Amino acid sequence: MPFASRRAVLCLAVAVLAMPAHAADGPAAAVIEKASAEVIALIKAKTGRDREAGIRTILLTYFDMPFMGQSALGTHWAATAPAQRDRFLKAVVSAEARAYSERFGQYGGQTLTVGRVSTRSNGVTVVDSKLSQTNGQPIAIQWELRDAGQGPRITDVKIEGVSMVMTRRSDFNSYIQGHGGKVEPLIEELEKRAAN
Amino acid sequence: MAEGFLKTMAAGARRSTVAVLAAAALLGGCATGDTGANEPWDPLETPNRFIFSINRAVDIIAIRPIAVLYRDWMPARAQRGIHNVLDNLGEPVTAINEVVQGDPSRAATTMARFLVNSTIGLAGIFDVATSFGLTHTKEGAGNTVGYYASVEPENGGFYMVLPLAGPSNARDAAGLMADYAVDPFRILTFALNVDWLLYSGPRWGATVVDVRTRTLFALDDLEKNSVDYYAALRSAYTQQRAEIIRQKREKTDPRSELQRRDNLALVR
Repeated sequence: MPFASRRAVLCLAVAVLAMPAHAADGPAAAVIEKASAEVIALIKAKTGRDREAGIRTILLTYFDMPFMGQSALGTHWAATAPAQRDRFLKAVVSAEARAYSERFGQYGGQTLTVGRVSTRSNGVTVVDSKLSQTNGQPIAIQWELRDAGQGPRITDVKIEGVSMVMTRRSDFNSYIQGHGGKVEPLIEELEKRAAN
Repeated sequence: MAEGFLKTMAAGARRSTVAVLAAAALLGGCATGDTGANEPWDPLETPNRFIFSINRAVDIIAIRPIAVLYRDWMPARAQRGIHNVLDNLGEPVTAINEVVQGDPSRAATTMARFLVNSTIGLAGIFDVATSFGLTHTKEGAGNTVGYYASVEPENGGFYMVLPLAGPSNARDAAGLMADYAVDPFRILTFALNVDWLLYSGPRWGATVVDVRTRTLFALDDLEKNSVDYYAALRSAYTQQRAEIIRQKREKTDPRSELQRRDNLALVR
């Protein structure tokens, strides 16, 4: 009898191990897989303004843009008026949509494979993934997701160790300091870039 | 009156000493609990920006156009071959660093790669070692210092922009010099008085074109999408170097990166 139960446990363990990886990964990995599938479909189908609009929708659906914008402004966020914050976030979404739609260019057979998922005690989920290309080395992309009530949403993307939010934060911070410590010139610059 | 003044002075001095000590304790606290959320340390920002602008001018008129031509017109297999030769020339330095990092078996693999590729791979043109299962690694003294230094890998000393070589910091610039000093090829060609046109010139020229070609996409993207390219590149460089060093350390401590991320979320 003890032998049989041990066998049952073993069977159970094998069954758990054999389960498909994405089923055990939970909602965070599902978000990444869904978003990347949508992006690939979009890049295949559309170019130019249509693609930019599609990327914007994806950004607003899967990314927590207010959170990212607040992180990118860092300590300057507190000193920014609510109306300015809205304009800033709007401009950032436009700038990122533009950047992503141009960055991808032609679809070249890239695929995104989701790897390890780590959930942290502070509510952050880190999803490792690899972007495989037809030519060249695969690119390591790490996604950071937080759940603020509407399911997990992306709050940072780390490409080969370079965090998008951290780089923007450094960039914006330096620009603000170079313009008398005011956020307004930065917002105007971002709006100007989004307009043309 | 005078006594009162002296007393006030003394009290003021005591207060400022306490303030300085408190500030030092806070700074010290920041240093040990450094989560990488801080800006890179850049006390030489003005001269750095000056060199950065010269580098950029040289890049725009000379290096970038060559890199674009090279990418678009040089056959992909030739590009691959040249990259392999340069990688192969770097293997001895990598092996030396791996020994210093306390990983002699990895160093042996690197030397095996070097021997295989230098012979069967025709002076390194073909990377046959990888198909034998000998994977490629690249190490420099900057990584070695970062591996042993008991500070956050984001902290590589002060940031600096090197003429032509671009973004660096105290750690990596010192590393470059150390690597140059111990490079067996460099020592050999110096000892044999090899003309620079035969070895150093072609090697460094090819390295510049190869590296610039490989960074075209990322740097164009960073420049186009930043409002302060200098600051964006400074941040990206610091993060990427830190990631490489952190991965080395994580062989012994796989949770440290995630723990740092937890702290980062708190800092925000």
